[in-house]
Amino acid sequence: MHNELKITDMQTLESNKKTTEESNNPVCLNLPDFTTDSYKDAYSRINAIVIEGEQEAHDNYLSIATLIPNELEELTKLARMEMKHKKGFTACGRNLGVVADMEFAKKFFSKLHGNFQIALEKGNLTTCLLIQAILIEAFAISAYNVYIRVADPFAKKITEGVVKDEYLHLNYGQEWLKENLSTCKDELMEANKVNLPLIKKMLDEVANDASVLAMDKEELMEEFMIAYQDTLMEIGLDNREIARMAMAAIV
Amino acid sequence: MFGLIGHSTSFEDAKRKASLLGFDHIADGDLDVWCTAPPQLVENVEVKSATGISIEGSYIDSCFVPEMLSRFKTARRKVLNAMELAQKKGINITALGGFTSIIFENFNLLQHKQIRNTSLEWERFTTGNTHTAWVICKQLEVNAPRIGIDLKKATVAVIGATGDIGSAVCRWLINKTGISELLMVARQQEPLALLQKELDGGTVTSLDEALPQADIVVWVASMPKTIEIDTNKLKKPCLMIDGGYPKNLDEKFQGENIHVLKGGIVEFFNDIGWNMMELAEMQNPQREMFACFAEAMILEFEKCHTNFSWGRNNISLEKMEFIGAASLKHGFSAIGLDKQPRVLTV
Repeated sequence: MHNELKITDMQTLESNKKTTEESNNPVCLNLPDFTTDSYKDAYSRINAIVIEGEQEAHDNYLSIATLIPNELEELTKLARMEMKHKKGFTACGRNLGVVADMEFAKKFFSKLHGNFQIALEKGNLTTCLLIQAILIEAFAISAYNVYIRVADPFAKKITEGVVKDEYLHLNYGQEWLKENLSTCKDELMEANKVNLPLIKKMLDEVANDASVLAMDKEELMEEFMIAYQDTLMEIGLDNREIARMAMAAIV
Repeated sequence: MFGLIGHSTSFEDAKRKASLLGFDHIADGDLDVWCTAPPQLVENVEVKSATGISIEGSYIDSCFVPEMLSRFKTARRKVLNAMELAQKKGINITALGGFTSIIFENFNLLQHKQIRNTSLEWERFTTGNTHTAWVICKQLEVNAPRIGIDLKKATVAVIGATGDIGSAVCRWLINKTGISELLMVARQQEPLALLQKELDGGTVTSLDEALPQADIVVWVASMPKTIEIDTNKLKKPCLMIDGGYPKNLDEKFQGENIHVLKGGIVEFFNDIGWNMMELAEMQNPQREMFACFAEAMILEFEKCHTNFSWGRNNISLEKMEFIGAASLKHGFSAIGLDKQPRVLTV
């Protein structure tokens, strides 16, 4: 009788030899050419988004302080840091000879900006913190983490410094929401449902330009989900609640 | 704290499990969604050793699935992110299970120490290969006589002899078992020659030549899906120990005097009360697990917080003896032929 060993359908490393070769190929780790027109063109929008993002963050923290006046000092400190970041990123653009497309960036943030302003007017602190201290900060951290790996040496150094600060900011919103979770959970879920899809759309919108900068969309999204999940976990939500919230990103 | 980093055996399987665990956002997602999914700490567990010592541990699903092997950057991120999570959770010693240690080794992840704001501390991780190698050797020593193979007269072929586990198995067989002959098969000839020199023994040969001669075959290579083997040419009886990953030697040959044994699987003396091994498709998920996972538990029981198994060809006989003795002491035993392996449903 003749028998042959039957092998199941499961993938093996053997069947993906190319992957192993690719991993050993140093070309994969190469940086993009920062001097090309296409790089500079994409950078004019990405850089503008970053600059505008830092400006928004500055304004938002000062606005949040109007809702919790006893936190004014701390929030002013955070706001000041964001201005410092804005200056740093402006220098990154200048260093590459790029003029940031601020009009594009303003439009890019307009929906989220609008939602923040409405929440502020209504005095919905939880929504304001979700938008600024969780969504925008996680978005920024994820983008900066990915950017650091492919940035020019000047921008890399600046971005590394910024990321350290941004983790503090994420932490600020996290702490407040953690302390007040029992009373703010419903609003947090609701605000998330409205605003997380905006972040996803923003990411989609910027994906092409980001890829010119060698920033991979898949990696950006993953970095965002990691920062987002970490924060929600710290706030005290369980796996299932986080999963339900993250659902809003799949649109 | 000990940690285990694992993954599902296929994308379909992963989605099914995510749904059971309530991770609806990824359960409904396509492969692209999974490629962006963060690692998940799925379960915490307390385990009590046969000596009475209690330890705590966590199971982390890396959200890697084998379908991602063709996306090298994704696979790399999955492993590194899971390792970062383990370290951030303060876990002292974490085993890299399934494909994750293979990815770490083959994709050169050692050069990616900095993950976001975490600098990975390698001493917190182990491949678990020392324990796996020891378990495979014990499985060979115990089960061969059971099917009428006299070790002193036996020819043993190790397929994948130059790998981390393969070379350790060869070292043990030559020095500790008194087998008649060792046949060593591997793709690359240069390391094979070096191994032969180091062991001062063993015969270098090809797969086709080795199989008809071998009473016992230890598979520790990742096998191509397309490989075809004429079982008529195999010796009868023949013991095949499937020590590779994935475990893809079919069980169907058991009845024809070809005995296939799931290599590198251990059983704990007590029910553990976890769900994580159901995810790993173990036959008795309350007690059975990969030996590499058990290594992390043993190291935690022993308060031996170091990357015990790390890099390639660092597994010494002394290390195997140490982990083997500790394994038995704390209540682990290698599964034998009486435990029929189940076909992986893929």
